[in-house]
Amino acid sequence: MKVQEIMTKKVEYVTPNATLRQAARKMGQLGVGFLPVIENGILIGIITDRDIACHAIGIGRDANWTDVQKVMKKEVITCFDDDDISDAAHLMEDHHIHRLPVLHHDNSLAGILSVDDLARGSHDLAGEVLERTAATH
Amino acid sequence: MKVQELMTPKAESIEPGARTKEAAKKMRDLNIGSLPVMEDGKLMGIITDRDICCRVSGTGRDAVGTKVNEVMIKEVATCYEDDDIEIAANLMEGRHVRRLVVLHRDDSVAGILSVDDLARGSHELASEVLEAATRH
Repeated sequence: MKVQEIMTKKVEYVTPNATLRQAARKMGQLGVGFLPVIENGILIGIITDRDIACHAIGIGRDANWTDVQKVMKKEVITCFDDDDISDAAHLMEDHHIHRLPVLHHDNSLAGILSVDDLARGSHDLAGEVLERTAATH
Repeated sequence: MKVQELMTPKAESIEPGARTKEAAKKMRDLNIGSLPVMEDGKLMGIITDRDICCRVSGTGRDAVGTKVNEVMIKEVATCYEDDDIEIAANLMEGRHVRRLVVLHRDDSVAGILSVDDLARGSHELASEVLEAATRH
């Protein structure tokens, strides 16, 4: 099975100079915990609800005045839309992550593959990814 | 299999009057995403990194001025340590949550059961919980 068959295709994103408050508001409205950071059509980072809480608020940064690019993760692990889901699952396992931005071969963003999406394709692959994740409750 | 075989025991907790900034710092330092909120040994609620992100930062509140009890979830999904893991998984599915606070039979807190913990017991049950959960 290919990643594009189970990934979430309609993906919202933020720009690097958006404030953390704007990113947090967007996550709340969309019911997501993760947003790709896009500049000029290119993926330059990712930001999660946890990044905003723990790596900004927890160290005393003000969400009204801190830009997404100060807190986002820049080393993003990605896969391609025509990769096999088992390869994508192994990437998640190796890097202890629950989501992968999915790229077209021209490096534009095609979607997001989360472990939840993976569960719809294979319970076993999703279970393996969860097991390998550190105990972060 | 029983919940106590998979749960993370002795959960850290925080007081309802603590500042949300302190809760965020504690989650960062402990590398965890949620804290039971306890007062006088009683479970009052639960607060997650997501609550601090969306309910404090996303609404323009100040994390130093906002207390844990202003944004915590008060209706906590719980199970007992001697429940079967199928019962716990069904509870997560029904409530659309990824973790449960686990109680001793005297209602004191025994630990936390996350969907990650569940996966160590059954890939099938954990995946069903994910399918029932919200996106991303």
